[in-house]
Amino acid sequence: MLTDRVRISRRGWFLVVAVIIALLPFVIQDSYWRTNLIVCAINIMLAIGLDFILGYAGQLNLGHSAFYGIGAYASTLLVMKLGVPFWMAFVLGMVLSGAAGMALSIFAVRLRGHYLAIASLGFAVIVHQVLLNWISLTQGPLGIYAIKPPPDIALPGLPVISFGNTANMFYLVASFAFLFYLLLDQLVRSPIGETLKAIREDEISASAFGINCTAWKVFAFGIGSAVAGAAGAFYASFVGTLVPDAFIITESFTILAMVIVGGMGTLIGPVWGAILLTILPELLRGFGDLRLVLYGAALTLVVLFMPGGIAQAAQMFRARSGRLATSTDAGMRR
Amino acid sequence: MLTVVLQQGINGIVFGSLYVLVALGLTLIYGVLVQINFAHADVVTIGAFAAYFFTFAFGGNYLISIGIALMVGAALGWLVNAAIFAPLRERGSELLPLIATIGVSILLQNAMLLWFGPIPYAFDSPYSNKVIRLWGGTFITLQNLIIVVVSTLTIALLYAFMKFTYMGKALRAVAQDRETAGLMGVNPNQLIMLTFVIASALAGMGGAMLGPILVLTPFAGTTVIVKAFAIVIIGGFGNVEGTIIAGLAVGLIESYTTQFINPGLTDIVVFTLLLLMLALRPTGLIAEKREENV
Repeated sequence: MLTDRVRISRRGWFLVVAVIIALLPFVIQDSYWRTNLIVCAINIMLAIGLDFILGYAGQLNLGHSAFYGIGAYASTLLVMKLGVPFWMAFVLGMVLSGAAGMALSIFAVRLRGHYLAIASLGFAVIVHQVLLNWISLTQGPLGIYAIKPPPDIALPGLPVISFGNTANMFYLVASFAFLFYLLLDQLVRSPIGETLKAIREDEISASAFGINCTAWKVFAFGIGSAVAGAAGAFYASFVGTLVPDAFIITESFTILAMVIVGGMGTLIGPVWGAILLTILPELLRGFGDLRLVLYGAALTLVVLFMPGGIAQAAQMFRARSGRLATSTDAGMRR
Repeated sequence: MLTVVLQQGINGIVFGSLYVLVALGLTLIYGVLVQINFAHADVVTIGAFAAYFFTFAFGGNYLISIGIALMVGAALGWLVNAAIFAPLRERGSELLPLIATIGVSILLQNAMLLWFGPIPYAFDSPYSNKVIRLWGGTFITLQNLIIVVVSTLTIALLYAFMKFTYMGKALRAVAQDRETAGLMGVNPNQLIMLTFVIASALAGMGGAMLGPILVLTPFAGTTVIVKAFAIVIIGGFGNVEGTIIAGLAVGLIESYTTQFINPGLTDIVVFTLLLLMLALRPTGLIAEKREENV
């Protein structure tokens, strides 16, 4: 009976989110805040992708900015240099990012914990430096300009949908963010999710159960970085310009902060983390540069006092208000 | 040609010895705690700013400012340990302290950005213009000579402290096995604190000497620290001798890449080397008994 209620409420949430996405551009007409909404959706993709690698498979990845950058540059260059249609370039960008993630994971297969952290950090430095220095391809620090938005969709009998319009662009990016969320949610609820958690908790025991740890780690890296690649492709086509410094290693830390503040090892936590850490700094713009000081302070304080992040806080609140807390694990052990 | 090779060798050793100072701090902390400290970068930057303000705002002597930076660094090390690492130690997580120090790093960098602004500071050491001619047409500025001499002395002192004093022995004991060392009457908490103070003092000092040869902005430390991580891995985490060799090697590789290949490629070369090292020999140049981390 309980599971029935949970399932209905899950379907209910699905509807609620869809309605919220549909209504947001009507509520928010201001182009500045609409821009922030799109950035929010992009950050959600980055955060849930990293959470899949870090929170579920337990792989300390500090190089997420590299996969983001590879997706952005690959999709843009395919369109601009080779004339590949946008959506094909989008898919290829995802595939390339995913392949890069898998390659890093295969390469670092013997590494664990801090060694993997530094290896992935090193990988991100290399990618950033290649983007900066391969001037004939990426135009280096000058950047790539006038990147077109995704092509218009003209369905017969309907008005043309143009993605130069921020509302339409928001619908597109938010739908994809929602889609990726649902896909990852299905994955982590399936036996695959259990397998990844087993590897996170104890690799040796997991392999004793016949789990091929290497293959699953490579899989997690592939999926997580492919989602980051999609975020990159949307970023490029939305912002219209690409410079290597958008994918500097500190960008990895920003994404990491979203996952941690939200609560890693849950999928909904990083979504809240991404929303909070995208919108909050904008609300604090009145404070000028102080907002980033607060950002750092928030990250530190969350780790010290609430290592499960928003997800843990919500669970505690729910438990305290007497309702039955469903068993989500706020993976705070790693 | 030979002159160029020698000259770049000298420059490489100057940078390399500073990298060693910064990386030694990371490796000491890793040796004792098996934790990564990202805030180390900002200790370097704050050390550089402390030396800058002491020299220019108060008209102090540059050499004394190195000592000031050392003390500022030591104080910061104490603070970072007391505020972050000590409270998180019981949780036994390898991820949480790392992320907390990333938070501290974001906080400190932006606090500095707020106070000092984004425009690079011109930190001209009074010794930068005095040139000493060496053999075969090569030269070294007095500033760089000071860097090499001070770093070498400091590293030698640290090495002697680790090898020959009771405290140094206790420190190594804690690094090997914290619990057993505790049973032998060593206070691990005190020694962990001491490690942080020493490590951060080295970083502050390194900052004071890096200031004049770097672009001094609130983010100056980050570029150095990323290289220091590479050095620590190449030398073997927690391994002092390996770190010294790797630091000098990275300094030399950088200056030769700048001269003979392309200045833009230095980081790519260094970090490709790091990844190769991790793939082929993850225990570092000098093998240690810490294989369980790999």
